[in-house]
Amino acid sequence: MSPTRTAAAPGDLLLQASDTRQTGALVVAGNPGGAVYLVEGRVMYAESPAAPGVGELLTSSGRLAGRTWQQALDIGGTTARVGRLLVEQGHLTQGELELCVLGSTYDAAYFVLSDRSAPAEFRAGATHWLGQVVHIDAAAVDHEVGRRIQLLDDIFPNPRIDVAPVIPVSRPPRERITVTAPQWELLVQADGQRTPADLAQLLGRAGYAIIQELRRMAAAGLIELPEERVPDTPEFVRLPHPRGGSAPLDRPTAGRSSAAPVSPPVVFVPDPTPAPAPIPELGVPEIHIPEPHLPEPRIPEPHIPEQNAGPNRPRLARRKPGAKLPREFADEGPQVHQGTDEVLLKRIRTALRALR
Amino acid sequence: MPGVDHCLQEAMTIPGAVGASIVDYTTGFPVATTGAAPNSDHEAAAAGTAEVVQAATSRSLFVSAIPHDLLEDLIITTAGGYHLLRLVPTEFDSRLVLYVWLDRVRGNLAVARRKMQRLADELVARQ
Repeated sequence: MSPTRTAAAPGDLLLQASDTRQTGALVVAGNPGGAVYLVEGRVMYAESPAAPGVGELLTSSGRLAGRTWQQALDIGGTTARVGRLLVEQGHLTQGELELCVLGSTYDAAYFVLSDRSAPAEFRAGATHWLGQVVHIDAAAVDHEVGRRIQLLDDIFPNPRIDVAPVIPVSRPPRERITVTAPQWELLVQADGQRTPADLAQLLGRAGYAIIQELRRMAAAGLIELPEERVPDTPEFVRLPHPRGGSAPLDRPTAGRSSAAPVSPPVVFVPDPTPAPAPIPELGVPEIHIPEPHLPEPRIPEPHIPEQNAGPNRPRLARRKPGAKLPREFADEGPQVHQGTDEVLLKRIRTALRALR
Repeated sequence: MPGVDHCLQEAMTIPGAVGASIVDYTTGFPVATTGAAPNSDHEAAAAGTAEVVQAATSRSLFVSAIPHDLLEDLIITTAGGYHLLRLVPTEFDSRLVLYVWLDRVRGNLAVARRKMQRLADELVARQ
């Protein structure tokens, strides 16, 4: 049968195919696009680049070894019984498989069907290698997609957030902020270039759950709102944001040397209140700061104990308020960055010249 | 092999069970349902269930009182019934909760809670 191409919205096309009890795949182009698979008019699976599939969910969570999944794919892929194989071999329970397939199907269906203007076509006869694990009423899927769109708009109505690279704001809008565990994961992994789809794949979480959290974070002012893209302008690649305790890399070095002549030679004077130098942190490497506390990272209060157990464990255990730093860290003083020595020497030189 | 439907059938055998469902609490979507729902509306019940679970996990601090503590059950009692919510601990990322509605007169909280624990664990093979 030849593919049928229509101008109808993907959702309508799905219902049409379902009403006539067709078997095949509704393939939707566009960003992110994807496909919904039907067997005799009922949805059996859906996939989209923006939503991690069953394999990604099971392997990235560690539930299945990558090897096990690959093996099932090799053996059962051609006969479309990958899912059944995993259960028969005892790697998964039927319940786990069904729940995983149901979750990822609804997740992908949102991305496939939410863009009502995306070009879609129905390829009759196409099946998916996973095999039939569940069957869902197509109308229920379509209805749920509509409900999810509404749910997101109730949180924060800006669909650009769903596709644009995620950029956490460098300064939180309030003194105290509370983030949930999934939001923390997103903030840690968002480097200014990863899109929500990238983050979903990376974290092995449902794509919809990711954009739901992102919309909530946008509403709370924790991530930057994507700019409206003007047509016919190139999309600039953003460099990753500097993370951790490092100083901003984009501070112009020229500013330091040009500012140097006006600053008094505070470097050797152990005066805790030096004259206002334009860039104060450059003047202090030699002076021992009265309180050698390292700058505390942003702390979302109650979640820290759980989060610290992971592989990204910070170098220092969390201190009690007022506790002293261990000696080896306290003695390090503020971090000295490359290039500081040269700038410091230049400043000393200009200061000495000024004395002549 | 106990699948989702089998799990719900079993849940309905709990003394006093009126209805049962498995709800995705990130989206408030009923993944599977059986029997009656409050106001005969499984979808609305699921959306409400999701809000309750979210409130308990992210907006109140019960779960954060002890490190690595996890939410297990939420039990809501009304004059006419018991509403039990049991989190289904899947290893892959899915946030699911098993919901059972019990008749107040025929239902027994302790029995129902134990049975739901077993059902949720069997569903994902945690013994």
